[in-house]
Amino acid sequence: MNKKPVPLLILDILSLVLLVVAAYLALVFAPMEATMGNVQKVFYFHVANAWVGMLGFISAGVAGIAYLRSHDPKWDIVEVAAVEISLVFFLIAIILGSIWARPVWNTWWTWEPRLTTAAITELIYLAYFMLRNGIEDPNRRARFSAVYTLIGSVSVPITFMAIRFFRTIHPVVIGSQTAQAQGGFNMSPDMKVAFFFSLFTFTVIFVDLFWHRIRLGILENKVEELKLKVME
Amino acid sequence: MNTLPDTTNYMIAGYAVFAVVFSVFITSLAFRWKKLKQDIQTLEELGKDSNP
Amino acid sequence: MARTEKTGTKSGNFMQAVFAIAWKDLAAELRSRELLSAMLVFAMLVILIFNFALKLDAKTRLTATSGILWVTFTFAGTLGLNRSMAVEKDRGCLDGLLLAPVDRSTIYFGKLLSNLVFMFIVEVIVLPLYSLLYNINLFNPGLILIILLGSVGYIAIGTLLAAMAVQTRTRDVMLPILLFPVVIPVVVAAVEATGGFLQGLDISEVRYWINILLVYDIIFISIAFMVFDYVVEE
Repeated sequence: MNKKPVPLLILDILSLVLLVVAAYLALVFAPMEATMGNVQKVFYFHVANAWVGMLGFISAGVAGIAYLRSHDPKWDIVEVAAVEISLVFFLIAIILGSIWARPVWNTWWTWEPRLTTAAITELIYLAYFMLRNGIEDPNRRARFSAVYTLIGSVSVPITFMAIRFFRTIHPVVIGSQTAQAQGGFNMSPDMKVAFFFSLFTFTVIFVDLFWHRIRLGILENKVEELKLKVME
Repeated sequence: MNTLPDTTNYMIAGYAVFAVVFSVFITSLAFRWKKLKQDIQTLEELGKDSNP
Repeated sequence: MARTEKTGTKSGNFMQAVFAIAWKDLAAELRSRELLSAMLVFAMLVILIFNFALKLDAKTRLTATSGILWVTFTFAGTLGLNRSMAVEKDRGCLDGLLLAPVDRSTIYFGKLLSNLVFMFIVEVIVLPLYSLLYNINLFNPGLILIILLGSVGYIAIGTLLAAMAVQTRTRDVMLPILLFPVVIPVVVAAVEATGGFLQGLDISEVRYWINILLVYDIIFISIAFMVFDYVVEE
C-alpha cells in the first residue's frame, strides 16, 4: 500500500485540470446574470458541491447496508470515507448558499428546504463521528455506525419532504415576491455549459477524493491492527 | 429602473471559501497519510524489538 | 422475570416475551416511581420556564402551545429513554435478557412498550395541567391522535438509539445528539398537526402531517426491529 496506483495519479491530474477549466467557465466564460450580478456565478459551484455531498450521502447509505449484510470491515472504511467527504462538501455548499443569499435576499440564512435539510444532514454527520469516537471496540463501532447511517439515510428524505411542505404552509417573505427577487433566473446556453461542466468536474473530483480517503482508511485500519499486536 | 448591483465581492468570497475549505481538506488528507505512514514505521520497529 | 413457556405458538411466545419484558419495567417503576417522578417534575419545570421565556399573550399562546407541548414531551422523553436503558445495563439485566431463549427483537418491542407507557403517562398528566394553566382546551380527539402517533415514532427510534447510546463512553449525552436530528420529521409533523387541530383546521389540511407520522412510524419500527440484533449482540 505504498505507491499511489497510476489510475489514481491520472485521476488526480484530471481532477485538477477539470477544476481549473470549470472555474474558468464559471467565472469568465459564463455571462453575468442580469438581476443579481456576479454573485450568481457562485451558483455553479454551490450546486456542484451539493451534488458531491449527495453522492457521498448515497454512498454512505449503500455502504452501511452492505456492512450490515456482509460484516466485511471494508464497507466500514468506505462508509466513513463517504460521510467525511459528504460532510466537507455539504459544508461548502451551505456556505456558498449563504453567500448567495446575502446580496440577493439581504439575509444570511433562509430556511429553504434544501439548505435546511443539508444543515440537518451535517448535524447527523457530526453525531455520527461523535458516536464513533465514543466506541472503542472496532466491531461494535462499525455496527453502530452502519445502523446510524441507515437511520440517517431514511430520515433525511422524510425530513426534506416535511420541511418542504412546512414551507409551503409558512412561506417566509423575503423581499419582493417576483421570481427574480426569489433568486430564480433563466440559464442562457453559455450558463448551461458552465453549469453542467461543473457538475461533471465535481463528480470526477468526488471519485478521486473518495478513492484517496478510502486508502487513508485502509491505512488507519492497519495502524490499529499493529497497535493491538504491539500491545500484546 | 434598477442599476445592476455590483455583487462581485460576494462572488469572490464564494470562490475563496471554496478554495480554502477544499485546500484544507486535501491538506488534511495528505497530513494524515504522512502521519499514519510514520506510525506504521514506528509500530513495525517496535514489533521487531519485542519479537526478535 | 416471567418464564416463557415452550408450549404454544411461536407468535404466542413472542408476544408473551414482549409483555414480560415490558411488565418487568412497568412493575419496577410502579414500586419505585423514580423515573416517572423525574420525568413529570422535569416536564413541569420546562413548562414553567417557557412561561417566563416566551411572553405569550392570549393570542400567541394558541399558536405557541403546540410547540411548547412537543418540546416538553421531547425533552422529558429523552430523560425516560436514557434512564430506562441505563438501568438495564447497570443492573446487568441486558445480559440476562440476551441469554433468554427468545428472539432478540422481543427486547426491542418490550422496551418500546414500556418506554411508550412512560411517555403516555407523562403526556396524560401534562395535558390537563397545561389546559388548566393556560385556559386552553386540549381535549381534542385529533390532538390525542397526534400525541399517539408522534410519541410512537419518537419512542420507536429513541429506544433503538438509546440502546446504542448507553454502550458508548458518553452515554447520556449521546442520546439527544443521535436522536434529535433524525426525529425532526416527527417533531415538525406533530407540532404542525397539533397546531392545526387546536386552531380547528379541517382534517384535510392536516392529513399530510398525519401521513408523514404514519409513514415514519411504520418505517422506523420496521428498521429498528430489523437492526436491533446488531445493536445488542456482544
